[in-house]
Amino acid sequence: MKDLMTVIGFTFGNKVRTKSFKVTTAILVILAILAAHIPFFAQLFSGDDEPAVIGVFQDDRGIAVMLQRQADAQDPKPFDVLLVEDPGSDDERLEQMRTGVEEGNVKGYVLFVEQPESAFPMAVYYSDGNLGQGLRSSLTQTLGQVKNEMLLRELNLTQEQSRQLFMPISLETERLDEEGAAREAEKDPMEELVDYILVYIMIVALFMGIMITGQFIASEITTEKSSRIMEIIVTSVAPLTQMFGKIIGMMMVGLLQIILLGAAIFFSFVLPHNREAVAAIDIDLGSVDPLLIIYFIVFYFLGYFLYATLFAAVGSIVSRMEDLGQAVMPMTFLVLGAFYIGIFGINTPEAPFVVAMSYVPFFSPMAMFMRIGVSDPAWWEVALSLGILALSILLFGWLSAKIYRVGVLMYGKRPNLKELRRAMKAYKV
Amino acid sequence: MLPLKLERVTKQYGDYTAVNAISFEVSSGEIYGLLGANGAGKTTTMRMVLGLIYPDDGSIRWNGKPWYKELNRIMGYLPEERGLYPKVKICDQIEYLARLRGVSAQDAKKNLKWWLERFEVPDYYDRKVEELSKGNQQKIQFIAAVIHRPQILVLDEAFSGLDPVNVEMLKDVVKELRDEGAAILFSTHRMEHVEELCRNITVLHRSNTVLQGNLKEIKKSFPREYVVLATELPVSGLEQIPGVREVRQHENAYEIRISHPEIAQKILMHAMDQGDVLKFELREPTLNEIFIKAVGGERE
Repeated sequence: MKDLMTVIGFTFGNKVRTKSFKVTTAILVILAILAAHIPFFAQLFSGDDEPAVIGVFQDDRGIAVMLQRQADAQDPKPFDVLLVEDPGSDDERLEQMRTGVEEGNVKGYVLFVEQPESAFPMAVYYSDGNLGQGLRSSLTQTLGQVKNEMLLRELNLTQEQSRQLFMPISLETERLDEEGAAREAEKDPMEELVDYILVYIMIVALFMGIMITGQFIASEITTEKSSRIMEIIVTSVAPLTQMFGKIIGMMMVGLLQIILLGAAIFFSFVLPHNREAVAAIDIDLGSVDPLLIIYFIVFYFLGYFLYATLFAAVGSIVSRMEDLGQAVMPMTFLVLGAFYIGIFGINTPEAPFVVAMSYVPFFSPMAMFMRIGVSDPAWWEVALSLGILALSILLFGWLSAKIYRVGVLMYGKRPNLKELRRAMKAYKV
Repeated sequence: MLPLKLERVTKQYGDYTAVNAISFEVSSGEIYGLLGANGAGKTTTMRMVLGLIYPDDGSIRWNGKPWYKELNRIMGYLPEERGLYPKVKICDQIEYLARLRGVSAQDAKKNLKWWLERFEVPDYYDRKVEELSKGNQQKIQFIAAVIHRPQILVLDEAFSGLDPVNVEMLKDVVKELRDEGAAILFSTHRMEHVEELCRNITVLHRSNTVLQGNLKEIKKSFPREYVVLATELPVSGLEQIPGVREVRQHENAYEIRISHPEIAQKILMHAMDQGDVLKFELREPTLNEIFIKAVGGERE
């Protein structure tokens, strides 16, 4: 136990003191701070953005006036309508538009052209640049409203009738629970959105945690092997103590990184200039299910240990750094597979494939966690998944320990499976 | 009780026998020489002694007991392939290794300082290994092996890659450790070190023990085959004496290989007939000659 603590302390202390760790952590923290400031920047750049001024040529049917009224009625105002007297001839009109655009106070001009086959005229937009997605959709939308208003007026509907016509469709979700009784969904859309985002972030965190620390573990062990200090280490401390000391030490390194990132994001959010921006996007962090956080921690640790022992085993059978990349490839694919199942499963959490994968050890940390977050698996499903995961940690931990015990002393070419099996027998471990 | 005793220890890798029925014992205050060409089975034997690999057959006893966990507290190992953490400060990594072997952090620091003084490099305390020359890295490696004052010390090619001054320094340290009572298992290719340090030796050849015992007795058991002769004037006709196999003329003397020790007297007479003899010796075979004789002939 004392040896284990010594190994953990040494692994942690050395990793944290390396330049590469300091640099990567600093970069990650800066990125996190920048990401946390996105709402603030968004507000900064859009806040004092005056709506664009659009010149609209007046027409006989008063569409231009209606457009102005509809635009002014909206909040925020999508654009300012500047009513322009139609000079009549094309040349004069073009001249007027050119001077208006060149002077810069008008972004573009809209001219209505009557179409014989349609009740509503075609709108033509003139400017010296592109229309832009935002302006195009708000212009189309507002014109649509104008058109509706005109048609309604022609139909002579009562106010009640037009209200009914425009009433939005209401869609409520209800869920059948085990007893078959319908009950109202527990989560309102806001909570669902928060869960969705949270699950997304946590799956990425789990993926990064496993990938980065897993690589760290494997490369540390290979480095010790290739620098031959392994020869001294294995005579000083039991290989298993060393392996688990490394795994736990590296886990602490990973946790330190996560804590630093979390702290950076948290402090960015509570800074006065950010508080307003965060409030503006209207996500209530209080609606985060604390149980979800607990599940995250559980799945993080279990997933980490499952992968870490395997990374350690892979690191132990490679004797040169150059060979490590190739050797960890299968592991990389496993982690990537789990990651993609988790990410793409968010949209279809109850698809049979995703449900099946939430019981398979290497994929379950992400798949089951994702299901808990965005869907509602029965308690026994969660328990079964956790049980399988815990059992496979024991199994793969044991296997990795055996491989490690043999692997750290094997030099030369990477042993194949048969050689490993024979060596394991020979070592009587 | 003997610190280390091997009895008919055998190790096989698949069909290949790496070590075949080796037996020897090392007592406290003794440096035991393990000799052999490359691939003879020395490193495998040492790894078994260290408990890194288990013998397939035979038994190893440490202080009269089979392998027990606390052995790492009393054993030290200097591997042939040297290795330390290149980017970690010397004080940090030596402290780590010492603590793994049960030494407190405080004692480890104190001992390290003492050893660095002993090797006349006290300013290496907080340097990194990669900043040191190869010879100085060797010193640090040696300190790593002895920082916990081991009872059983395994030195694999302890002096390779060192300059003569440092070899002497390290040799003195090894002798000190021996005099303090350590049982030292020592492997080397350099026969002059064995002659100077070892009381008993085992010569391995292709996994088998070909020669074993007390160094002096081994030397006695091999016939004296060389005559060293130094004279005032050149001696002619040495080759013609029956029983003389080879005459090598060095700067100041002749070295003459003979088939029987009795021939030596004839050579002396022959030389005295021609002039003054300054030096005459029927010398013991060197360990080098013994080694080559034991191993040789079937060298690849």
